[in-house]
Amino acid sequence: MDRRSFIKLTAVTGTSAALASCGVPENQLIRFVPDEDIVPGVAVWKPGVCPLCAAGCGLTVRVMDADADVARNGQLGVVRIAAAKKLEGAPNHPVNRGGLCARGQAAIQVTYHPDRITQPLKRAGERGDGRYEAISWDDALADVVSRLDGLEEAGNQRALAFLSRGGASHRAVLIEQFLARFGAPPPAVYELFGDEVLRRANATSFGREQLPTIDLANAMFVLSFGADFLGTWNSPVAQAAAYGVMRQGRPGIRGGFVQVESRMSQTGASADEWVPARPGTEGVLALGLAHVIMAAALRPASAAGRAGALVDGWSDGLRSYTPEQVEKITGVAAARVVRLARQFAEMRPSVAVVAGPPLAHTNGLFTAVAVNALNALVGSIEQPGGVFFTPQVDLAAALKMSGRAAGAPAPPFRLQREGADDPHIGDAQVLLVDGANPVFTAPRVWGVDQALAKVPYIVSFGSFLDEMAVLADLILPDHSFLEAWREAVPESGATVAVASVAPPVMRPLYQTRSTPDVLLEVGRRLRRPLNLPWQTFDQMLAAAFAALPSASPDADAWTDAQAKGAWSGPVPPGLGRAASLPAPPAARPIAFEEPRFDGDAGQFPFHFLPYPSSAFLDGSLAHLPWLQEMPDPLTSAMWSSWVEINPAAAERLGIGQGDVLEIASAHGSIRAAAVLTPGIAPDMVAMPVGQGHRTFTRYASGRGANPVEALAPMTEPATGALAWAATRVRVSRVGPPDGRLVLFAGGMREHVEEHR
Amino acid sequence: MPRWGMAADLDRCNGCGACVVACHAENNISTVGPEEAARGRAKHWLRVERYWEGDFPDVRVTFRPVLCQHCDNAPCEPVCPTYASHHTEEGLNAQVYNRCIGTRYCANACPYNARFFDFFNPSWDKPLHLQLNPDVSLRMVGVVEKCTFCVQRINGAQVQAKAEGRGVRDGEIQPACAQSCPSRALVFGDLDDPESQASRLSRSPRGSHLLEDTGSRPKVAYLARQA
Repeated sequence: MDRRSFIKLTAVTGTSAALASCGVPENQLIRFVPDEDIVPGVAVWKPGVCPLCAAGCGLTVRVMDADADVARNGQLGVVRIAAAKKLEGAPNHPVNRGGLCARGQAAIQVTYHPDRITQPLKRAGERGDGRYEAISWDDALADVVSRLDGLEEAGNQRALAFLSRGGASHRAVLIEQFLARFGAPPPAVYELFGDEVLRRANATSFGREQLPTIDLANAMFVLSFGADFLGTWNSPVAQAAAYGVMRQGRPGIRGGFVQVESRMSQTGASADEWVPARPGTEGVLALGLAHVIMAAALRPASAAGRAGALVDGWSDGLRSYTPEQVEKITGVAAARVVRLARQFAEMRPSVAVVAGPPLAHTNGLFTAVAVNALNALVGSIEQPGGVFFTPQVDLAAALKMSGRAAGAPAPPFRLQREGADDPHIGDAQVLLVDGANPVFTAPRVWGVDQALAKVPYIVSFGSFLDEMAVLADLILPDHSFLEAWREAVPESGATVAVASVAPPVMRPLYQTRSTPDVLLEVGRRLRRPLNLPWQTFDQMLAAAFAALPSASPDADAWTDAQAKGAWSGPVPPGLGRAASLPAPPAARPIAFEEPRFDGDAGQFPFHFLPYPSSAFLDGSLAHLPWLQEMPDPLTSAMWSSWVEINPAAAERLGIGQGDVLEIASAHGSIRAAAVLTPGIAPDMVAMPVGQGHRTFTRYASGRGANPVEALAPMTEPATGALAWAATRVRVSRVGPPDGRLVLFAGGMREHVEEHR
Repeated sequence: MPRWGMAADLDRCNGCGACVVACHAENNISTVGPEEAARGRAKHWLRVERYWEGDFPDVRVTFRPVLCQHCDNAPCEPVCPTYASHHTEEGLNAQVYNRCIGTRYCANACPYNARFFDFFNPSWDKPLHLQLNPDVSLRMVGVVEKCTFCVQRINGAQVQAKAEGRGVRDGEIQPACAQSCPSRALVFGDLDDPESQASRLSRSPRGSHLLEDTGSRPKVAYLARQA
């Protein structure tokens, strides 16, 4: 028997077996019908967009054949599919230039996660107990439509809340249009490690309400105030690529790098010099440098322009920020202040960066404005080796969408009860949730879960049963990023405007639907349809990209962008997002205010620093097994939570490596294992955020502890942003090592000096 | 005949771990879970080590990505009773999983802790298995596995080059770790080609090799952090 007839025979046998067993034989035959034209064993590469953070890195996805268990038309079967196999950075993408971070590498496990929600679910038990029953898409959408119709009938459209993670994207424009046309407030945006304070400061200093792009590649000297720019902040792959060039990419030239922070971050670990300043005083150090530069007449005060004029005492040369005074406040020696100032002024081009813990204090805005002024003083704004602002396309204008009707827009719902008139999330009648998980990432004292309990109807677009989704009455699972049209509009990471876009890489594995398409369909089915001008999300993207000039002579912008995975270039006239905001009203100049901390220093002797973990960021990636098993860069910990403490402080308290500690603030307590490390001030303990999920798939549920639970409700007053570094705690040893801390380097002597 | 090697610039490396996960993704390295990881059974063909110097506040850290050094005089090879661990013509320290009987002599002999024993059959909670790379064989219980310099990519590029009637170009082959590295700290290439980037970097005055005094003649050069 030859091969061909053998295959024919098996096919016939299989067919008759299926015919005998089932009344719908065509459903049993799907294994013989490949999904698409794919040659076994031959890889093809398709563009993609990394969905895991706001950086918007471009991907190339390796696609090959694989046999998958799939559900089609309600029937299970095995089918040969074109499956994504490996993610790489897209070589020509203007942001990541071929690189990809550890998290991006693991993103593929989102698609193939065993605990993905595979179809619409309706709550079948009490809220939070995780019992759901299957529901058809038709019934599910009818349910949502009737709820929204109900709001409209009652004239209560303002009771529709939408919770998302923010950031500019076409998806965000669609959500905004959906809400505006329905008559609901704009989406409530919550991001634990959001950069609202920095955006506000940049708007104040430079008229640009956005994150900066740092031209590290051309810098001679980088002074970073707490920014984890190589690890978790802003556009880490773009920044690491530029960092590599700064260090060793220019023959004979090596840029210097100093990091100011009181807990050594992954980025700080690469610095030539690490400068611990007292928490919340980093801005004073920046002004101290500016004082020295002006006093030595290295640069005139006027060079800083508006960014300097905002700072109290700037025109007088910041007389109250003498090195001696700065030493008293920050703990950084006066001689060191002078030396750093000279280096900063003389090793041109130099650039200062600020983000992370220094801005997570009650005086965060002052700190950011102070660093901005220092940058402006030495002429580092929009100059090679300095700070740039990526030009932004006005997406709504590209889509010819008007904004909201004139008059003050309704304020968005808020998560914390502050600001008397703003509606609170607990007042919503219907809540739609896309991507955010404030139950995990908001301080326990905000009472987000109690507030959500009062919302009569919650719909989640989530793919996993996390702490937020488990409160939903209806779950309408989104496609994974490889199964749907994806796009991103990076806020930073390139000096030209960028819009990433990619068609679906593979067919959906499950009965999921793309959330933008679901919103469009709901909008059509409402009794008073929303009249959004697109049938599907890709139509919307096509319309948006059609407004952009093509980067290639052979194809229009839309075709070209799809093939390359991104559009980039100069922003055409009329489509730029307001390049400059009007100067802020002449408020009083910004001056140093002592940072306020929650908790009395006697009773709570340690500063508490929760920080975004290298693996999980704010915890939204804790469900990916590769990231759980990736050793942490600074501790080599895997699958664990830990508390970093200085060896001297640990000795005083009788704490040894791995001992179980209790960290207690005035608002809550958590337990985790101690990691003794010299890279932290003796009056501080630090803990990575990410673990401690009550429910988030088999890999993350019930693992470790969530430091956010102990945070005080301290905020930066101008923006209302959570001051997540402003809580004080006490530390006590509750037991010996109990195996909860897993270190990869446990058996290897890595320490140059043993600390016992 | 090429002689494959790598240069790792510690002045570019910032410990981000992209290489570690990229290696898992490319080479079908199974995760072992927290309990087995606590027993020291986690498998990372490539790891990032960190070296702390000094006490607060004068602290300094250097990261060092450590993978199989593909030694020219590899301590792992002569100890293998079955020739599972052997030297290829192109200088790779290769491991034939089907020959391996799990004595772990090689893992004990390796000065770099670069070899990992499979205590269990690998398993992937479905459908995570759909990600598996068909170019890389799975390792069953009882064998030792290790970095291959992504030999499947080397072979693939050589086949492609031959089909096009040309030699392999410098930079054409990138192991998964080097391809992912955001700061371009890892450079792979032919050390016998004096013009290859890896070869030029390996001759840098900043260069040194790990545990050279063992006489293992490793082919991964580390370029020291400056300043």
